[in-house]
Amino acid sequence: MIILSVEDVRKTYVGGETPVEAVRGVSLSLAAGDFVALMGPSGCGKSSLLHLCGAMDRPTAGRLRIETADLAQLNDDQLTKLRRERIGFVFQFFNLLPTLTVRENITLPVLLAGGDVTAAERRAGELAERVGLTHRLRHYPQQLSGGEMQRAAMARAIIHEPALLIADEPTGNLDSENGARVLNLLGELNRELQLTILLATHGAETAAAAQRIIRMRDGKIASVETTSAIEEPTPRAFV
Amino acid sequence: MRLFRQFIWRHLAQEKLRSCATVLGIALGVAVVLAIQMTNASSVRGFEKAIETVAGKTSLEIVGAGAGFDELLIKDLGWLRTYGQVSPVIEGDAEITLADKRSESLRVLGVDILRDRSLRDYQLRANAETQTASARQFLQLLSDARSVILTEKFTRKHKLNIGQTVELTFADKAEPYTVRGVLKDEGPARTMDGNFALLDLASAQWAFHRLGRIDRLDVRLKDAAQLAAAERAIAERLPAGLRVQRPARRGSQVEKMLAAFHFNLTALSYIALLVGLFLIYNTVSISVITRRAEIGTLRALGATRGTVLALFLAEALALAVIGCSLGLLFGRVLSFGAVKLTATTVNALYIAAAAEPPPLAWQHVWIAFGLGLPLSLLAAAVPALEAARVAPTAAMRGSDHLISRFRLRARYVVLPLCLLAAAWWFARQPAVNGLPAFGYASALAIVFGAAFLVPAVLFALGRLGDKPLFRLFKIEGRLANANLAGAIPRISISVAALAVSLSMMTAIAVMIGSFRETVVYWVNQTLVADLYLRPATRHNVATDAVFSPEVERIVSAHPAVAAADRFRNFDIAYGGGLVTLGTGEFAKQEAHGHLLFKAPTGAEAGKAAIRSCIGQDAVIVSESFALKYATQVGDVISLTTPQGDRTFRIAAVYYDYSSDRGIIVMDRGTFTKYFGEPQATSLTVYLRPGADADAVREDLLRQFGSNYRVLIYTNASIRQEVLRIFDSTFAITYALEVIAIFVAILGVATTLLTLILERKREIAVLRLVGADRRQVRKMVVIEAGLMGAVSQSVGAGVGLLLSLVLIYVINVQSFGWTIQFRVPWGFLAQSSLLILLATALSGLYPARRASQLQTAEEVVEE
Ligand SMILES: Nc1ncnc2c1ncn2[C@@H]1O[C@H](COP(=O)(O)OP(=O)(O)OP(=O)(O)O)[C@@H](O)[C@H]1O
Ligand SMILES: [Mg+2]
Repeated sequence: MIILSVEDVRKTYVGGETPVEAVRGVSLSLAAGDFVALMGPSGCGKSSLLHLCGAMDRPTAGRLRIETADLAQLNDDQLTKLRRERIGFVFQFFNLLPTLTVRENITLPVLLAGGDVTAAERRAGELAERVGLTHRLRHYPQQLSGGEMQRAAMARAIIHEPALLIADEPTGNLDSENGARVLNLLGELNRELQLTILLATHGAETAAAAQRIIRMRDGKIASVETTSAIEEPTPRAFV
Repeated sequence: MRLFRQFIWRHLAQEKLRSCATVLGIALGVAVVLAIQMTNASSVRGFEKAIETVAGKTSLEIVGAGAGFDELLIKDLGWLRTYGQVSPVIEGDAEITLADKRSESLRVLGVDILRDRSLRDYQLRANAETQTASARQFLQLLSDARSVILTEKFTRKHKLNIGQTVELTFADKAEPYTVRGVLKDEGPARTMDGNFALLDLASAQWAFHRLGRIDRLDVRLKDAAQLAAAERAIAERLPAGLRVQRPARRGSQVEKMLAAFHFNLTALSYIALLVGLFLIYNTVSISVITRRAEIGTLRALGATRGTVLALFLAEALALAVIGCSLGLLFGRVLSFGAVKLTATTVNALYIAAAAEPPPLAWQHVWIAFGLGLPLSLLAAAVPALEAARVAPTAAMRGSDHLISRFRLRARYVVLPLCLLAAAWWFARQPAVNGLPAFGYASALAIVFGAAFLVPAVLFALGRLGDKPLFRLFKIEGRLANANLAGAIPRISISVAALAVSLSMMTAIAVMIGSFRETVVYWVNQTLVADLYLRPATRHNVATDAVFSPEVERIVSAHPAVAAADRFRNFDIAYGGGLVTLGTGEFAKQEAHGHLLFKAPTGAEAGKAAIRSCIGQDAVIVSESFALKYATQVGDVISLTTPQGDRTFRIAAVYYDYSSDRGIIVMDRGTFTKYFGEPQATSLTVYLRPGADADAVREDLLRQFGSNYRVLIYTNASIRQEVLRIFDSTFAITYALEVIAIFVAILGVATTLLTLILERKREIAVLRLVGADRRQVRKMVVIEAGLMGAVSQSVGAGVGLLLSLVLIYVINVQSFGWTIQFRVPWGFLAQSSLLILLATALSGLYPARRASQLQTAEEVVEE
């Protein structure tokens, strides 16, 4: 089943003095259970593409579909609904709310969607155990280490069982040990829950965890390579 | 300077809304202080100016101990002429009825014109008809008793001509008068802005029912330089019962009388300024907090601590200069409203005041800036000093958006407790010079105590609020509560400012509510007569308008009247100020009246005390007299009578809420013995059982016909009138309060807006993990409402404490009234709801801004 399909998408930022063409005609497609890494030099448009894929931003041109939904057809509220039900996010700077405890941070997406509190808290407990944070549930983010924060952010990203996880340099701010731990977790989630992951990174080791690596340059896809020996459905990437 | 432009000015320009709100806050604060200043000045200055213009070249005046003195005494004062020119004077207020049936007040001077011209400049207007020598015209005034001279300004305004007939009402009597001349706009003609009339002495005596009496002798010294010596010499030679004084003395007496009223208004006006200063403090601290890293960079680049301090003080200064300038303008505008609001009270309770605030003068500019700028700098000094302490390394720490959590330290609880203890001590100190200085110190200590308690309350809310808020408002409630708990250092100031204003409002509401209850009770107990009569021109107790003997006769002769208590009062000098000396018929009072006695207690004991005064040198005094002059039952007070100083025993102290100046009342018999037969200034009428008050009123009015202008209140309408005056007295109080609260809510809104802009990233994350715009909006509005709720709960609690100080300390020391403490629960509930709504509404704009933030950029950009 296709989770994400991107067809000839472009993004031009017109905010500044000269328009910046950050994404210049990218097409790709992710099936359920795919784990794809985006690589490329700084400024090549990775983050921009992730924002588009995560329904955080609208493309200047091209088509984006997440599962059955055509993003162009959705208004802001519908996009919000889509995000909170089908997509999870992990970022370089953790982005936990400093005023909420770890448990409250993790349950946030469910509660925002109007979900049940006790169920959410039970699930947060399970996820915390899985990411090794059970003893930290009552703490505030600033009392945690970087690695712990990122793991909390991952728990928050998957508590609502999203179809697609968007991760923008999730290991960028971590030491290699913690980075490896986060990567392991991503791999586990991908394998065990068939979670579809789209990840942007600078690090080759990070990218190695993915099944497929897409290299970008100047807003375009430069090459696609498959890392795992396992036979996967042929990636449909158009350059 | 360049640094200032780059670093502060641009920042202020960027933060337009917050800068504007701050400027507006200071402007309103300064404006309120100025407006009250001008209003107070207008009532006293109006009075003093009238004295001055009427006084002309008068250097000394001889006054009697009672209401004026017998003109026969003048014969024995021939020696006065060796000191200078002497002129006997009658002065009073009359009403003129104009063609369109409206009437206006006139200040009337009755003099012996030919003699008086050496004291005052009268210039008759010379026009075609009045080519004749002015001396002849002045003599014409003498020839006809019903002649009057008006001023040029007045005649022009009302299109009156010489020879025309106008209707003048003196006390209760309306008579036609002929305009015989017009005074040029000079000298005394400027009195009361031209509402001035000149009469012959004899006509004035007749018109005011003062036959054979004069109000005073004005003296113009030959050698004005010898004023002090002459005053002393004259004082020595004057017989008992006469006094010499300078005209300005009357002004200072009035000033003293109004002092407490003005002091309280002034104190109240400073609340608004205080809140405005909170806003400056708030703005500067926010800019220091949010720009720590920038300050660090500046320091790293070589800016000294002094430079940083100067920068932030300059920020405050810039805001304050604009605020004060605007405040000057606003103040002028507000003063018109304030004069209107206070006029009823001042007129009803004290003096006929000028109805216009003074024009803007340098002195006001001086007040605005002399007060606004230093206080603003002081308010900004604390955060500016904090800015100066920022280390250069603050720049390096980089993304320190993970603010350290607020920790509840002991001082957040100990300091407020210390202040409350201080307040307790202050509250027990006596008045200073008749002004409740310590009372206000106590109030101030309570207010600051409350302000310093706010962080602790916010902390407690953060701890305990999660569960109930989550249940009430779902996840948005939890987020709002967490946001506030995380921002305690930043929101404390604005919450405290709002709490302070609200506590003042609560306190004042409780005080007024209690006072009103007390007055209503008093009115119901003591105002038991069926009809109350007064001459039409008697607008306040100070107006010396007496009834015509004919009116008194008609009333006593009416078959339905069981008793008519003839009451007379006028102001006498006592203890450096003015008190009211009154006289009534104690036998009638004992039989029909229902005074409430403070001492001796009990209605029967009170009646016995009244009875004991009859035929004795004994008086009863009002509670405010007893408190002001620290006297009690059994004490002996000394009064100056026309027969010299006499002592009177105080037989009872009674409750009275009609005036705060202190009242001494003696029986008619006693009064007559020392002051001569009194003419009544008011009549209290008790009807026979079964008589219909309204019918009797109609009947009396019919008998008075058009000759006599008498106001007759029935029991119901006098009660209404008392409460109307009461309510109007406090109208200004509420107006001042509303402004202070408005300014405080402004503070909450700007703080919230700043918080939102600071929290952009967090809000973006929220949006990312699934919050829609509506949820973000709801969260911010709840935050605003929570700030309002905390403010109101602290405000209401502290307000109750404050009201105790107001009622039992400040009121007692400045007015001398006993007020029964009552909590107006209805008002508290209503105002709480209103404040909650108002603050929540003030959160709408920040909420909209928050919900419109773009999601993608904020998260990624560091
Ligand atoms: N909101 C924006 N407005 C204008 N230009 C933008 C915006 N966001 C990104 N850009 C520009 O688009 C280009 C691509 O940026 P993007 O952040 O996608 O690169 P990146 O591959 O994620 O780089 P990095 O590896 O440094 O994260 C850059 O030139 C950037 O300056
Ligand atoms: Mg990037």
